[in-house]
Amino acid sequence: MIKKKIAMLGAFAVGKTSLVQQYVNSIFSEKYQTTIGVKIDQKKITLNDQDVTLMLWDLYGDDDFMKMKPTYLMGSSGYLLVADGTRSETIDVAIELQKMAAEATHNAPFILIINKSDLTETWEITAETIQKLQQMGWNILITSAKENIMVEDAFRHLTQLMIL
Amino acid sequence: MENKPSNHSEELLEAGKLNELRKLLIGLNQSELDRIKLLLNDPHEFSKELSILLPYAIRKMIEQGEVSVDNLLPFVEEAMHKSIQKNPQRLADILFPVMGPAIRKAVSEDLKRMIAAINTSLESGFSPKTLKWRLQALTSKRSFTEILMANSYVYHVSHIFLIHRDTGILLHEEQAKESRALEADLISSMLTAIRDFVSDSFKSSGAGTLDEVQVGDLNILVEQGPYAVVAAIIEGRPPADYRLTLSETIEAVHFNQGTDLEKFDGNTSIFQLSAKFLQNCLIKQKKQTKSKPPYLVIVLFVAFLAGITYFLVQRQLQHNKLNAFADQLERTPGYHLTSRDFKGNTIYIKGLRDVMSDNPNDISDKMNIENRFVHFDFESYISTDSGIIIQRAIKALSPPASVQISLRDQTLIITGEASEQWKTKALTQQPYIYGINSIDTEQLTSGTNLQWIIPAIEKHRFDFEINVVNLTEQQQVNFDSLVQAALFLDEFNQMYQKRMAIYVQSFTTKSGNLDANLKVANQRIIAFISLLEKAGVNSKLLVSQVKFAEDLTESVNLRSVRFSVFDNKQANP
Repeated sequence: MIKKKIAMLGAFAVGKTSLVQQYVNSIFSEKYQTTIGVKIDQKKITLNDQDVTLMLWDLYGDDDFMKMKPTYLMGSSGYLLVADGTRSETIDVAIELQKMAAEATHNAPFILIINKSDLTETWEITAETIQKLQQMGWNILITSAKENIMVEDAFRHLTQLMIL
Repeated sequence: MENKPSNHSEELLEAGKLNELRKLLIGLNQSELDRIKLLLNDPHEFSKELSILLPYAIRKMIEQGEVSVDNLLPFVEEAMHKSIQKNPQRLADILFPVMGPAIRKAVSEDLKRMIAAINTSLESGFSPKTLKWRLQALTSKRSFTEILMANSYVYHVSHIFLIHRDTGILLHEEQAKESRALEADLISSMLTAIRDFVSDSFKSSGAGTLDEVQVGDLNILVEQGPYAVVAAIIEGRPPADYRLTLSETIEAVHFNQGTDLEKFDGNTSIFQLSAKFLQNCLIKQKKQTKSKPPYLVIVLFVAFLAGITYFLVQRQLQHNKLNAFADQLERTPGYHLTSRDFKGNTIYIKGLRDVMSDNPNDISDKMNIENRFVHFDFESYISTDSGIIIQRAIKALSPPASVQISLRDQTLIITGEASEQWKTKALTQQPYIYGINSIDTEQLTSGTNLQWIIPAIEKHRFDFEINVVNLTEQQQVNFDSLVQAALFLDEFNQMYQKRMAIYVQSFTTKSGNLDANLKVANQRIIAFISLLEKAGVNSKLLVSQVKFAEDLTESVNLRSVRFSVFDNKQANP
């Protein structure tokens, strides 16, 4: 049995919790995010005939990334950076969070998820920004937690990166 | 001179070729060969080279399983032992940085244990239970603290988790058989998160970590190791030394799987090897509930026993009583018992009975034995018992009251006074009285006078039921005696030209209907006189007389008949 710790990072209200809500086994209330700053969920997937248990540390999103507790990132085998396509500033937060996460996780693999693809008409994040980040080597997926687009793929892709 | 450079060049050329040839042959160039030579010839250089490779080689051998830590342990221990013997100060210097925190932690744990024990003692106070424990301590040679611990701590370790320290990932879980399954992965991670939260929030140093969570009766004890922690989920309060068990467990896990923990990459299967250590932590101690004596069963049993005893005693008493009755019957003249059997509380008596003997039911009544408990099966026989023979003779002879009858050597001896007529009749009855050979009347004086006739008549009284003038068996004997005496009176009248008569008296009362009362009383007298006349009594002797109870000085049974002898000549001249 392979078990991996994954952290989910992002600014406030980017949809981190929504992304995992329908796919995870959760016994803890979301109030933990606002009390101790993290809520832990579990997701089991099978990848290349191998069962993998992902322990998802859904960290409390705050626009002030300085409030993030890096301790929660330690030991993570990978992480999902989540940004809101309709709020360009969430990309900036994601970039800052990535720096912190890279240090805490010793450059563990990560994916940037730009959520809320169902609201493309109000998007603020431009294709140029996305392209620039891709040029920096970032893996980027555009998802919609609301309409369940590319969510499962995001977890599978990150797991693939971690196991390889 | 010109040849020198040429020769030198040729030598170099030769050397180059030779080197090339050597390389082709053995794969090493000159410099490499020189280095090997140096290593072989110079021990200092060789050991220097070996010192670089040796740790790596040992590590590789351990990883490949060629050499285990257990194999190396004796050498390491011996080396350390010698080193300490040689220079203890050196080890003290090495251990100094770690000894401080270790000692502090040990002292802290001991203090916690002591405080817990004192708290428990204070909580227990001087209750009856505590006094009982003190008594147990005195009698069992165990310390009071031991007794206290044994009685106070009731706990049950339901789950034990081995958690990777950095990632919070559950490496292995063991749970008690009777425990329900938990979301162990999530709990492990959350526990790690809480630990991190506490650690971050209070900026505590490494020495102070989250090692206990208590929620009501549920305790989670966490023992930290360098790479992993063990967490025990305990229902109830564990003993103070349980932490030592956890500590030894995490040490054992690290000792055996330290490398696996250090290089943990997400594969948890390998930590199945630590199961045996974790299982040792699944301990429990149920409070020894003193089993209450089954009072109800005891009461029922005692009641049952008492019932059985009562039944047996009563039965034995009844048997004794019935046996005593049978014995009495055996002793009674006219009875000869052949068997006695018991069925329950009833005695079945078989034997022989003379008709002249006492009624057995009368005997049982005298002994307060209900008739339903005695069952008789008697055959008739003629008893030769002296008492029965006398009874038989009395019945046959109907002697007057002035006569006494006894038996001696099968001779009926008649003494007293009787008429010549009775005497003659008595002698003729001898063959009909079984059990006697002769009748001796030598001491019987003849004569007829009123001295014995009057009492012989007046002594009789007959009590009847309402409107009944039937004689019972006993009354029949008296009646016969009365008739006999009446006949003597008649004989006396004839002999002495007298007119002596008998008042046959009946009694009634003046209260109520006087005529009706008198009628009933007269009817009774008439009926009785009729009986006497049928028995041969001269009707001239019999005079009816009704008397009122109110006129008498003594109380009488209104339904009785009495007799009074009077001179009729004087009454009716």
